[in-house]
Amino acid sequence: MNSNLVVIIAASAIFYGTPLFFAALGGIITERSGVLNLGVEGTMLLGAVTGAWASQHIPGSAWFTVLASIFIGMTAGALTSALLAFLCVTLRTNQTVAGLAITIFAGGVGLSSYFANIWKVAEGPVDRQIRKFDVLGLGDSPIVGPIIFNQTILTYVSWVLVIGVSFYLFRTRFGLQLRAVGESPQTADAMGIDVVKYRYVHTIVGGALAGLGGVYYSLAIVPTWVNGMTRGAGWIAIALVIFGFWRPGITLLGAYLFGALQSLGSTLKARNVNISGDILDALPFFMTIVVLVLISSRFAHRRLGAPASLGVPYEREER
Amino acid sequence: MKSAVRMSGVVKRFPGVVANDGVEVDIRAGEVHALLGENGAGKSTLSNILTGLYRPDEGIVEINGEPVHFSSPRDALDAGVGMVHQHFRLVETFTVAENVVLGEPGSPFVIDQSRVAQQVAELSDRYGLAVDPSARIWQLSVGEQQRVEILKVLYRGAKVLILDEPTAVLTPNEADVLFTTLRGMVAEGRTVIFISHKLDEVMKVSDRVTVLRGGRTVGTVETARTDTRELASLMVGRSVDFARVTRTNPVDRSTEVLTLDGVSARDDRGREALHDVSLTVARGEILGIAGVAGNGQRELAEAISGMRSLTTGRIHVAGEQVQSGRARSAIAKGIAHIPEDRLHTGLASSHSVEDNLALKNYRSRDLSRFRLLRRKLIRSQADELVRNYDVKTPATTTPVRLLSGGNVQKVLLAREFSSLPKVLIAASPTRGLDVGAIETVRTRLVEAAEQGVSILLISEDLDEIMSLADRIVVMYEGRIVDDVDAGSADRQRLGLTMGGGTLSGAKS
Amino acid sequence: MRSPVRFERRLEQPKWLNWAIPVLSLVAALVLGAIVLLATGKNPIEVYDRIFERGFAGTRALSGSIKTATPLAFTGLCAAVAFRMGLINIGGEGQFYMGAVGATWAGLAFGNDLPTGVLVIVMSLSGMLWGGFYAAIVGVLRAKFNTNEIITSLMMNYIAAIFLNYLIYNSTSYWRDPKSRNFPAGKPIPKRADWNVYEIFGTRIPLSFLIAVMAAVGVWVLYKRTRFGFEVGVIADSPKAARYAGIRTSSTIIIVLALSGALAGLGGAADVGNFRGLLDSKGLQMSGYGYTGIVVAALARFNPISTIVVAVLIGGLTNAGFALQGPDFPSGLVGTLQGLILFTAVAGEVLVRYRIRRNRRTVAVAA
Repeated sequence: MNSNLVVIIAASAIFYGTPLFFAALGGIITERSGVLNLGVEGTMLLGAVTGAWASQHIPGSAWFTVLASIFIGMTAGALTSALLAFLCVTLRTNQTVAGLAITIFAGGVGLSSYFANIWKVAEGPVDRQIRKFDVLGLGDSPIVGPIIFNQTILTYVSWVLVIGVSFYLFRTRFGLQLRAVGESPQTADAMGIDVVKYRYVHTIVGGALAGLGGVYYSLAIVPTWVNGMTRGAGWIAIALVIFGFWRPGITLLGAYLFGALQSLGSTLKARNVNISGDILDALPFFMTIVVLVLISSRFAHRRLGAPASLGVPYEREER
Repeated sequence: MKSAVRMSGVVKRFPGVVANDGVEVDIRAGEVHALLGENGAGKSTLSNILTGLYRPDEGIVEINGEPVHFSSPRDALDAGVGMVHQHFRLVETFTVAENVVLGEPGSPFVIDQSRVAQQVAELSDRYGLAVDPSARIWQLSVGEQQRVEILKVLYRGAKVLILDEPTAVLTPNEADVLFTTLRGMVAEGRTVIFISHKLDEVMKVSDRVTVLRGGRTVGTVETARTDTRELASLMVGRSVDFARVTRTNPVDRSTEVLTLDGVSARDDRGREALHDVSLTVARGEILGIAGVAGNGQRELAEAISGMRSLTTGRIHVAGEQVQSGRARSAIAKGIAHIPEDRLHTGLASSHSVEDNLALKNYRSRDLSRFRLLRRKLIRSQADELVRNYDVKTPATTTPVRLLSGGNVQKVLLAREFSSLPKVLIAASPTRGLDVGAIETVRTRLVEAAEQGVSILLISEDLDEIMSLADRIVVMYEGRIVDDVDAGSADRQRLGLTMGGGTLSGAKS
Repeated sequence: MRSPVRFERRLEQPKWLNWAIPVLSLVAALVLGAIVLLATGKNPIEVYDRIFERGFAGTRALSGSIKTATPLAFTGLCAAVAFRMGLINIGGEGQFYMGAVGATWAGLAFGNDLPTGVLVIVMSLSGMLWGGFYAAIVGVLRAKFNTNEIITSLMMNYIAAIFLNYLIYNSTSYWRDPKSRNFPAGKPIPKRADWNVYEIFGTRIPLSFLIAVMAAVGVWVLYKRTRFGFEVGVIADSPKAARYAGIRTSSTIIIVLALSGALAGLGGAADVGNFRGLLDSKGLQMSGYGYTGIVVAALARFNPISTIVVAVLIGGLTNAGFALQGPDFPSGLVGTLQGLILFTAVAGEVLVRYRIRRNRRTVAVAA
């Protein structure tokens, strides 16, 4: 039963969707503060390459190395996004151009490739990996076993994060202030909230999560370093944020949906089921456009739309 | 009597202007103190300093006798000073309760929604500020939103409340309710600073008045011992003449130039802003449109000038119908429009003077051929207009936003008048201008009327309307509620109908 | 905690900054790049010297650089045209692909029947139509539904890439070479459809580069001298004022985006006609012309004429990167430098709009 097509697809959906979710969660956190981060793809790649390097070079037990690699990947992501924050919040540059600059700078023809080259990351195996493990021995249970009880530790972490970040955003005082910064920085400023600090912090945290997503690619999914290995996952994550209406719960489901679509094509082909893989590949992007059109209407905009100040640099009147 | 707030020698400069030039203000605890002045007198700047949004370049601010240095609005709130802004600082997508509790330092890590709602309900009952704590801001009326602003300030235990032009968006009835609320707060020991430019309100609600002019204090008086004439003259610096302008050519009512027939339109939020408006303006007649801002005047101006589509009704100019919602049609039929928002609607502010002067006629054969602009002709048109209308600008290529307010208005006048329109809509044409510029604008308007232009004068300044208009209509909630000949108009009656009251005395 | 400096908006923008900033940005980027190189044990002077040599020194280098610059010029113009109206079109990548598809179709369909000169025109028009139409979709969504054009154009890039893959890898389409059953490849256009390459003072200049220059001039004239350009400027300045003056914003948005896409599509046509000679799905996706074009346009401050100059600059950098690739010269350096140039360019942009002022402490005056 567990080799049933649906079960396999569901399990893959979660597996492939997890890094998308991390990056998208980072995107939610960043965008809720009003900053549009288009540098996610590049950030993820930097996370992936530094994580892979760490996995190859940090001595110690497997657990320790993996943990250290995750930490280093997240740090790389955080630093990259700190740069974005500096450009967007302090220098008030056009956020789109800044994000693109980071993706080019860090991406497949940029720094990540450069580091990989210099550190010779691709030349050795990455054997300290993030592996799936059997939870409480339930990994073989019918249906739910492979889907829920046989995933990587990071997947379980992501589930905790959904609850945690949702709680933070909608039930705590800081979450309220963050959302105020994203909806109306003038108001937040007038109420004594430090807009600059909120934007910096949340952009950096978002970057760390993107870095985490990148590490997942080089240590779990592939798992090794390949130049440009995220292959657009960063862009999909950006789309996911919209698709998930800037809410962690829906975004998780969206990530699994996109993850399913990603793995669906090859899985079906292996089973000789003939559905055009291209249409499936294109589906996430079409869906995002549809969602975007729907939420841009006047009715939906207020209830479901983007944080109102997204992408707009905040300029306080002179003090 | 102790000073609740004292500001002395306060100076604040911005690029190009000195907003406060050595202001002296002394506000006693437990009083309603009015800060009176025209637009640009420095009232808002002063209050922004008091609430920590601006830092003074020079001077001392004291709260309860202690000097303070606010570096942020939070500092001011901590010191017990809270401001209710003219332009609300509310997050539209949040609820009332969320807005009230936002940024409050004492609030707990996890927000207890029901507790906050309860506290808000308590406060709103106590002060008569009825509002639903779980409503979202975009669902509320302007008056209700203002109540939320006041609740925010009260929630933080502010002892000193500053209200910046609070009645600008209220009907006279709502304003009276507000005044009662304010007196109630003062009776409890709080202090209220009431910023306004409206003489009668200041007389009604305040204990003392400080008058600002040109960034300086020109006097502080006890309200009981003064009257509107004295205040007005302090405010403008000379005795103000409310006399009516005399027209040399009496208006011939039979020559109808502009007709509106059952016109309705929606506002930006999709709500009905104009209901079944019908009016006519004769050739050379100045029709004054009176009313508190926000009763559909802007939508009326935009409907006639083609910026806004009509949901019902028709508009005709000299017998020809104007296409609904098509500004080009309106321009072609001879409708000119000097909008309220000069720099962002009437002008492209980063563009040059000459480009803006050509903003409406760049398509005409005089200025372009084969879709190419004829720059030389645009330049010469600009030179001529700048000369004729005495616009002070370094060059015709100077961006319009660098000009002073009066000169910006002159550019608009030059463009709109020189198009030889049949109809001119002038919305708040003298707001924010200095006295000399005001005279110029008014003179030009009357001149145009004398030459046969039908003018719609939309203004919140009842005195201006009464002195310039031939006929006055009053707009209230998107309808025309009164129509009188200006010569026999009575201020009381107009004030009443502006507030929605009916002439028989009962409220509509 | 107050910072020691603050930014104050300038009232006027001094004209000399318009060229000083890009130049200074470039210098700053080179300095930062040198730091990265030093930190990873390379000699920056040597690296830069080799880049300059392979990128710009001599006719061979220059020829290669202009060749590399040509697609960037088109995608740069694409971004510049849209940005002038405040629209951020990052769909240049996808519009480029579609233009290539359209031009390849024209080349294959008519390549044996028409003279070369006419073929150039037909292929160009086809490319512009496909690219322009593809971008117009984004325009319609923006104009009618107020949908953010950044995300929609981005999504369209991915859809276009998948379409390319479909045409060459996953189907037997008109564009696919029937002889290439095992290793899918595009069908080459007939020799007659190959666009000319001219030799001027020893440097080889493709026809499409000249077309790009003409397009740049055309765009400049359009925006500076025509009624349409005037309207675009007013809309960018103040949408309300545009409405007030009777300018139809909706249709202008669509036209500007269509024009933007047409330019990228023209680049795609040039790619097929002058360089690859067939629809190279993989090659196109790996080149990333659309994204690099945005970098070019940003550095050129969205001025069409400067875009050509900057395209040659970046083209030279990229070309040097290709030529120098090997164990000694790390891949990824080109992208890193490009990114740094873009960073410094946008950072420099700040100085155009703002002044840096020291924060003075408040002076308390005794009463």
